[in-house]
This record gives sequence, C-alpha cells and structure tokens, in this order.
Amino acid sequence: MTTKGIVFDIEELGLHDGPGIRKLVFFKGCPLHCTWCHNPEGISFCKEWIITHSGEKRICGKEYEAKELAEKLLKAKEILIDSGGGITITGGEPLAQSAFLFELIRYLKPISIAIETSGYAPKFIFKRLISEVDLILMDLKHTDNIIHKKYTGVHNSLIINNLKLLCQSDVNFILRIPLIPGVNDNKENMESIVQLIKNAKNLQRVEFLPYHQTAGAKYKMVGKKFEPGFDTNQTAKVWLDIFKNNNINVLVL
Amino acid sequence: MNDRISILLDNIKQKKHHQFRQNIETTELKAFTQSLKEQELSDVLKSQKRLSWVLTKETPIILPEEKIVFTRTVCQIPEIFTDEEWNSLKEEHYIHELGRVCNISSNYEYTIEVGLETRKNEIYKALIKHKEIGNESGIIFLQTVLQAIDDVLNLTDRYATLALNTGRSDLYKMLNQIPRYGAKTFHEALQFFRILHYTLWASGNYHNTVGRFDQYMFKYLQNDLNTGLLDYDSAFELLEEFFISFNKDSDLYPGMQQGDNGQSMVLGGVDKDGNDAFNLLSEMCLKASLELKLIDPKINLRVHKNTHFNYYILGSELTKEGLGFPQYSNDEIVIPGLLSKGYSLEDARNYVVAACWEFIIPGNGMDIPNIAALSFAKIIDKSIKRHLDNCDDFESFLTKVKFEAKLELDTILSKIGNIYMEPAPFQSLLMNDCIENAKDISLGAKYNNYGIHGTGISTAADSLAAIKKFVFDDKSVHAKEIVNALENNFEDDPDLWQKLKYQAPKMGNDDDYVDNIAVELLEMFSELTINLKNDRGGCFRPGSGSAMYYLWHVRDIGASADGRKKGEPLSANFSPSLNVKVNGPLSVISSFSKPDLKKIMNGGPLTLELHDTLFRNRDSIQKVAFLVKSYIDMGGHQLQLNAVNRERLIEAKKYPELHKNLIVRVWGWSGYFVELDEEYQDHVIQRIELQT
Repeated sequence: MTTKGIVFDIEELGLHDGPGIRKLVFFKGCPLHCTWCHNPEGISFCKEWIITHSGEKRICGKEYEAKELAEKLLKAKEILIDSGGGITITGGEPLAQSAFLFELIRYLKPISIAIETSGYAPKFIFKRLISEVDLILMDLKHTDNIIHKKYTGVHNSLIINNLKLLCQSDVNFILRIPLIPGVNDNKENMESIVQLIKNAKNLQRVEFLPYHQTAGAKYKMVGKKFEPGFDTNQTAKVWLDIFKNNNINVLVL
Repeated sequence: MNDRISILLDNIKQKKHHQFRQNIETTELKAFTQSLKEQELSDVLKSQKRLSWVLTKETPIILPEEKIVFTRTVCQIPEIFTDEEWNSLKEEHYIHELGRVCNISSNYEYTIEVGLETRKNEIYKALIKHKEIGNESGIIFLQTVLQAIDDVLNLTDRYATLALNTGRSDLYKMLNQIPRYGAKTFHEALQFFRILHYTLWASGNYHNTVGRFDQYMFKYLQNDLNTGLLDYDSAFELLEEFFISFNKDSDLYPGMQQGDNGQSMVLGGVDKDGNDAFNLLSEMCLKASLELKLIDPKINLRVHKNTHFNYYILGSELTKEGLGFPQYSNDEIVIPGLLSKGYSLEDARNYVVAACWEFIIPGNGMDIPNIAALSFAKIIDKSIKRHLDNCDDFESFLTKVKFEAKLELDTILSKIGNIYMEPAPFQSLLMNDCIENAKDISLGAKYNNYGIHGTGISTAADSLAAIKKFVFDDKSVHAKEIVNALENNFEDDPDLWQKLKYQAPKMGNDDDYVDNIAVELLEMFSELTINLKNDRGGCFRPGSGSAMYYLWHVRDIGASADGRKKGEPLSANFSPSLNVKVNGPLSVISSFSKPDLKKIMNGGPLTLELHDTLFRNRDSIQKVAFLVKSYIDMGGHQLQLNAVNRERLIEAKKYPELHKNLIVRVWGWSGYFVELDEEYQDHVIQRIELQT
C-alpha cells in the first residue's frame, strides 16, 4: 500500500529537537488551531500559496510517497548517525497523517526517530507511536479543558489521556510547554502539569518555549490575520522551581 | 581577564595610543621620495633608506600597563619611487598590488631563537663569500640587511633607555637581551616577535602573516611552565597582551578594506612527521581569542583525521562570538594538494594560511597566491553568447566552455610576466637562504608559484545546469531565448526568468545533476593549469576563493542563465549562489565536497552562515562542531562559518555608532561591519538573508 503525505518543510540542522544532528520534517496540517501558532502554513492540510516579503510567490506543501520522502531524509545519513542524531518528525501534527507517518517510519528505520506531537490523536494510534519511535517531544498547553478549547480549538482530554499513557510507557520523552503570557503561565496550571508527570521515569526533562514576538511574522505570507487573543507585549512567566522541587529537569529554549 | 588586560584592551578600544601618533606632512613624504631619486640609489638601498627613515623618526612609547612594547607613531610610510618612476616600472613589468613583497610567511622561529647578533655574524660570513666571487649586488644587499638590523637595534636601545628613565627596569633588562640575543623565555619570545613583526610593517611590507605560532612558540612556554617562571595564568595574561598588540597599529596597515591586514595565525595541524601537533598553546590561543573578541590575530585551525573533537568545540565556541573565524583547513586535502604542485613533504606539512585562505610555506615561499582570478561566470556568459545556439547537445556545449575557459585564462596570464617588487631587505632576513645566497626575497625563493582564484563557480554550475535541463534535456527553451533574455536582463521574459531561477537545480542541494557540473568545471580549471609555468619558473595554482572579485567580476557580465539579474553579486568564495535558498547545511557540505579539492589547492573556503540562535547552548555548539568535522571528513578543503543575525546588521548599518564592535567575515578576513563600504555591507546582509 502506498499512502501519500503532505509536508511543508524539511530542515537540515535541527539543533533543539532531539540529540545529535537531526533533519526535521514538518508534516502539513494540524487539528489544533493554537492562536499563538508560529507556523500558520502548517495548519491547513492542503497546498497553499505563499507570497514572501521579497515578492517571491511559491506553493507551500509538497506531496510525497513515504518511500520517496524517506530517501530524501536519509541523504547524508552518515552525518546524522555518527553525530548520534537522526530524524525528527514534526508539523503541523504528524499523527494527523498516521498511516503515512507509520509507513515513513518503517522506511526510515533503523535510524533514530523522534517525533514532536500535540498528543491529539486516538489512543490506538498514540499507543502504536510509543512502540515505534525513540523519543517523543510532547506538547502540553493547558490542563484546563475549557481554556484549552478556547485557545487551541479542541478539548484536551485525548491529550491528557495520551500523556498518562506516555508516562507509563518506557519510551523517552520531553514535555514541551509553550509559555503564553496570561494564558497558561500561571502557577495552578504548572502545578497540575507537575502532578501529571512527576512519577514518569521516562521523562527526560521539561522544556519551556516562551512566547516570542516574531510568532505572527508568517501570517501575512499565507494571507491570514494574526489574532492571538492575548496581550503579546507581556512577557511570559517562567516557573522553574515548581518543577525543580519535584526533581524534574527544566530547560528554557 | 585580569585588570591589567582590561585596561590594555580598553586602551585599544578607546584608541588612547593614537595621541602619540606623529602627523607627517605629505610634502615631507614626497621630499623623501624625491631625495631617493636624486641620490640615484639602487632599489635595495632605497628600500633600506626608507626603513631607516621610519625607524629613526619613531618615538618610543611605553604605556604604564604594557609588558610588550613597540607602538607605531609614524603613520605614513613614504614611497621609494616617484609616480613617474612607478609609471616607467609599470611599462616594463607586471606589478602585483602595491608592488611590494606581501602576503608571505616569515620564518620568525629561527631569528627569535638565535638573536640578531648571530644573524649579523651570518651576514658577515656571507659577505666574505660573496666578495670572493665578486657578487656586487649581493654585497650591497647584505649590507642593507646589516643596516636594517642596526636600525632595529637602535630603536630598541631607545626603547630601553625610555624604560630605564621611567622606572621600568623589567623592560630595560629584557630589551638588553632581545632582539640582540636569542629569546630565553616566553615573554622575551613574544616581545621579540613583536619587534620583528612591527619592523616588517614599518618596512612597507604588508599582509605580514603570523604563521604556526603555537608550534614555534611552544618550547618557550613549556620551558617557563616547567621551571616555574610562569604559571598557566601568568602565561595566559602575556598571551592576551600579545594578542592585543596586533590591534594597536592595524588601522595603518594597507589592505582592500579596514580589517584586511593578513594577520593570520595558524594553529594545530600535523608536525613534520605527520603527527598531531595541537598543544597547550594552541588551546590557549583559542581561549585568548574567545575572551578578547578582537579581529586580530585571525585564527586558522588546521585539522586532520586525528584532530581531537575538543578542538572543533573550542573552534565552534569562537565562531559563536561572531568573529568570523576560526577558518578550518584540512591537512588531509591540503598537504597532498601541495605535494602535487611540487612542494616537498616537509614544507607541505608546515603550510600556513596567507592573508585570506591561500596555503603558503613559511620561510620558503615567495608565492603570489592571489595574482589573478578566473571568472567562471564570465566564461559561461561568453560561451552562451558565442556558441549555445550552435550546439546540438550539452557535451558539445561543454567543449565550447572549455575552449572559452582556456582563452580567458590565456588572456589573464598574458598580462602577467617580468614581475617586479620593491626589494625587502628586512623581510629577506626572515626568509630562508636569502642571506646565504645574498639574494633579496623580492627576487624569489624556493617556491615562486602563482595562485589564481576562481570566482562564481556556483553561478556557473547553476547556469549550466539550467541550460542542460531546459535547452538540451527537456527542450522546453530554445537557445536563442536564453541568449535574448540574458541580453535584455529578462525584461521581456519574466516567465523564463522564473523558470531559470526557481525551477532549475542549484548547487548546494546535494543534487548530482548540478554538482557534477561543478566537479567538471573545477577539474577543467585544474587541468588548464597543469603544464603552465610562470615568469619565475613556478607553477600556477587553481583556487576556489574569490577575494573582492565577487563584486568586481559582476561588472564584466550581464544577467546569467541561473536567473541572476544584471548587477546582482556572485557569492563570495566557494558557496552556493547568493540568491538561492538551499535545503540546508548538510546538503551544502555534501555538494561542496564532491569536487576533488586536492586539485584546487590554492584554497578558498566554503562559507556557511548560521544564525546566531543556533549557538545557544553547549549541546548545539557540539552539533555545529560535528557539522564542521563532517565537512572535513567528507573531503572538504577549507571551511569558514559565520554566526550571524541579519536584524543586527541592518540596525548596524543604520546606527553605526551603536555597533562599532560588530564583526563580520567579508571574504577571507573579518572586519568591523561599520567600517566597510556600503557595497560590502549590503553583500553581507544579502548573503545572510538567504542562507539562514
């Protein structure tokens, strides 16, 4: 069976997305619509026109067969392997193209594979993911279901359940928390996140990604309006102690 | 860094020593040149008189914090020929740049070890020998070197007197030892170097490189550490002061732009037996440069298959500072390359880097590694206009390209012959065999090879790839359409422009279709130079550097078939075309390691621009270090990385006052961004915009 997938970018020197030198592949399309998303071209599952600030017009989004994409990603694989790196699959939401994803993983192996996901996927898919990759970079925005829905467009129950599943598994994972000023950078949210993960032996660390002013830079390019729904001039609060007190490593990216 | 070093660093930044500079009127300089003419002296005597004039005029300066002295106060160096004399010289001779000996690497080691008195004795012996054989010009030459040494000693004595009178008995004592006698300590060796280097600049010679400092200075350091005269910290402090001294007078040094002064220091590499030569001093130099963040000396790292990964990390930490160096060169490629051009194994293993990137031999090389440049873009331009319409397939077009390349090279080389340089008696003292043979270095040395840069390689490969694809493979574009479009700068055919620019393969994406064309072009360049001899009996060395030609060569051509419009610059050195968005650094290093770079042995680095956010933490620095090592392992010859931030450059262009310390790599050297001409500033900004 050959499934086609859609990808919006490939980067060759992902420095903050898993160990070693890694190629990053960005799957196009995401079921979440986070208001602060800095990759608006990764939201739609369709090809779309992009007009850059220098006036270049190009199509964003390229369809691949899994085998073809794997071959492309595995070019210069010696460097990836020798450096202790591999491939990181991110997006968009890779799990939203799960059939394509798992076929791609099959072609990529045995190289080390990391995946960055929102965790928004049916349980059986997430379970399969856990069994097939070497590292999971899982996002968590908010533990409160209503606030989560307001800012991301979806409820968080699938995500929380999958996170629980992940915590009980033995695949290494990093929990990534985007810090959005006035939205999720409060003590209560951080404390309930700690409750969810504090017993996970496979948690390597928590990474904070403080909101950055440049997040809205690409919206114009795809003909969208950046409407974050919070005060972008504020600086997000970083809560290191709550995590450190529970023996959880934290890193601010 | 300790307080003393902070003060010295601050002095440099505040230009405090400039207050001692003497203002010499142009009329006085002209009068000196005129007097040389009237005395009807030989050229070598003129050179020596000039050095005497400068050194006699010099005033000793000792700042209270200084332990390594010698500061220039005489800013202008007079010409030894009047304009008229220069013009008649130019009629008969090829004159390279300023017509002076430059861009070579001295053998500092020997003179520092034995001292100038011993060197004088050698000259006396040589005088006897050459008097016996009646070598008149040789005798005059040797006498001028003696005079130059005496002038240096005289200035040293005046420094010593000042030291005594200002209560600096430490300096007084040292200046009575060196440079008369050989250095015994690390401190003496550093001061000795400073005097030699200072004198080279005062002689009018320029791009005076530093060479393998960590090799020839290590024994002094090691000895002092063993005897306890120095500990690590005190040695490091001296080293930092020494580094600062390179920045005292550098604004006076001639170059294409401020910063282009050739103070290249080479660290690491293999020793004469082929073993790893990195040592404690190599590491200290990297750390000193990291702490001081000054553009001089410019650090070059020689690496090879046994180089410890830690040196790549130290190098990447230095890259992170945005200094535009270290520049890496690969012994595994460079040494065989030099051997293939007739360099001895011992000399090849001892190679250093000239002002920018060219590989030269200390003591034995009078190579001119930047004598000319071949414009690949121009060759393709001519081939298209003259032949494309008559070619049935790509292979026959490539034959025409080769024909045009040979024609172009012949044209360039026909202008080079009967070269003349001003004699350089003091520089000759620091080159091997000049004293024994009583022959000035300007007349040649063991190696007298000429290097030819190659510019616009990626533009040429991209243009050929577009032609191959559209004209010959899928036949979607007619040759005539390309010729017309180039002639009117795509103005009548925007669709063709789009197609050539965005739909054709580009070098830097690890795509054999275009990369193999670059392989072939460089192979061709190498072949064309194989049997050529220059006017001094030396060979020609093909290179992949561009120097300032990446801007100059654009003036000779219109638009190119890769979609580059008229006037848009070529990329600097060995890099993807300027306006091409490439897949990423892994593809770039794959593409640019495909040619057999042993044959492109004049050098010219692949330049990678990485955004400064990629250097955020230890983990990511390791990854950058690994990337560097990968290019070396894949057979790259030379690599230079920049940590850049486009926003900061744009701001610096707008508000130069606020960004005086912002350093960028320009072509083969680093300079202060705000001191560059606008044309160069814009090129740097443009380069970064597209590669990060």
